[in-house]
Amino acid sequence: MIHFSNVSKVYDHQTALRNITFSVEKGEMAFITGPSGAGKSTLLRIIYLSEKPDEGSVTIADWELSKLKESSIPFLRRNIGVVFQDFRLLDNRNVFDNVAMTLRIRGIMEDEVKERVMDILKTVNLRHKADSFPKTLSGGEQQRVVIARAIVGEPTILLADEPTGNLDSDTAAGITRMFKDINAKGTTVLVATHNRELFRNTGRKVIRLDNGNMVGEEIG
Amino acid sequence: MYLLYSLRLAIQSVWREKWINLLSVLTIAAGLFMITLTFFSVYNMDLATKKLPAKFSMMLYLNEGLSEQDTGNIIAILKKNNAVERVRFISKDKALQELKGVLKNADYVLEGINENPLPASIEVKLKQESVSLPSVKKLAADIKKINGIEEVEYGEQFLNSIHSIKAGAQTLSLLLVVVMSTGIIFVCYSTVKIMFYRRKEEIETFKLLGATRGFIRAPFVIEGGLLGAGGGLVSLLGAIAFYYILFYKLAITMPILKIIVFPSEIFVALPFVGLMLGISGAIIALGRIRFS
Repeated sequence: MIHFSNVSKVYDHQTALRNITFSVEKGEMAFITGPSGAGKSTLLRIIYLSEKPDEGSVTIADWELSKLKESSIPFLRRNIGVVFQDFRLLDNRNVFDNVAMTLRIRGIMEDEVKERVMDILKTVNLRHKADSFPKTLSGGEQQRVVIARAIVGEPTILLADEPTGNLDSDTAAGITRMFKDINAKGTTVLVATHNRELFRNTGRKVIRLDNGNMVGEEIG
Repeated sequence: MYLLYSLRLAIQSVWREKWINLLSVLTIAAGLFMITLTFFSVYNMDLATKKLPAKFSMMLYLNEGLSEQDTGNIIAILKKNNAVERVRFISKDKALQELKGVLKNADYVLEGINENPLPASIEVKLKQESVSLPSVKKLAADIKKINGIEEVEYGEQFLNSIHSIKAGAQTLSLLLVVVMSTGIIFVCYSTVKIMFYRRKEEIETFKLLGATRGFIRAPFVIEGGLLGAGGGLVSLLGAIAFYYILFYKLAITMPILKIIVFPSEIFVALPFVGLMLGISGAIIALGRIRFS
């Protein structure tokens, strides 16, 4: 589903990724780990086409990214749900509208949007917060809104960048359970985290990065 | 489907930034009102110059001692010409009589003249569509070649002046319309550009969620259109007020104003022209949207 082959990325003479090669198969749940500045976020940004690699090739599903036309990018992105590290919630829209955005962008009729958004908010246990604005929510609640927005479009791949970054351990455990549930329904999940607790004893693939280099691939 | 949503976003944005948008609408309205006045002036000038040919005639002065048959031949040749509407022969005596009629109380100037000094002439009325400077010039040259015609007079200077004034007014008004339209497009361009930058973060998120260029552009294009159409509607109110003041207030004290015509097509066109200019400004402002 996700294949990196000798991928490198350099920012202003500083190497963010160097010769990264790995694969995540369809329906798999994997982790990318490493200290801050290891290149985890850059790697995810390459997958959701926010960055282009300087070298190497990346294939997502059957799409070879270097051969992808710019006009096709939105359609590939619709297959990738992203839980951004900085949330990227729209502060001037309520929870419902933030989640609904994913579906409205696809031109889905408003009746269906309403039904699917309310269903997904129920899944993340935020139905009662549908009319609230992001600023009034706790960090854990905001994180769940972002997850709801990422999965409401039923993507084939879910990427999460430090999804438990500022959360307490109980909330973090709840978020992790949510990813496992999503993965159990067939979605390929790739989580970038420096929190070892998230993948310890999970039996999932863990890709280790350090200073832009891939330093290991193991089972957590 | 997303057009409805885009319309909602556009209306929300217009309302959220109501003061800057109001200022833009009023600026667009002022520009469109200027265009209206220009169109109104040119339209009336065109009408006035179209009425002039009905009064236009050409005078052909004949050689002295021309026989009745020669004169008849000349009239026959003239009548065959497609540009000629009608022909009137003015004999020497008739010419003198007409001159006396014109001079009235000043006919003492003719005292002491024993012999009629005026030549016989033919007045040629041209068809309305033939009274243009080049066609009249060509016709005069052709007529001059006919035997028995001494001189052709057709008010060349008058026709030249009318032609120059009309061409000048048209060029000036075209220039003004182009400048004003560019100004309106620029106002819409600037307003939409400001809105776009204010919502840059939001747009970046839309892109990452899979929004197409159409989805991103649509609310801004609609917003540009709304600003333009809004400006058009305000200028329409201005045009109606102008029409009312001109024909119902000023015309009472200045009856000459009643000959002026206000083309009602302007009323329908204004919001539409505003809409088109607004959309053009918005499209230019958005440029090419990149995804990576």
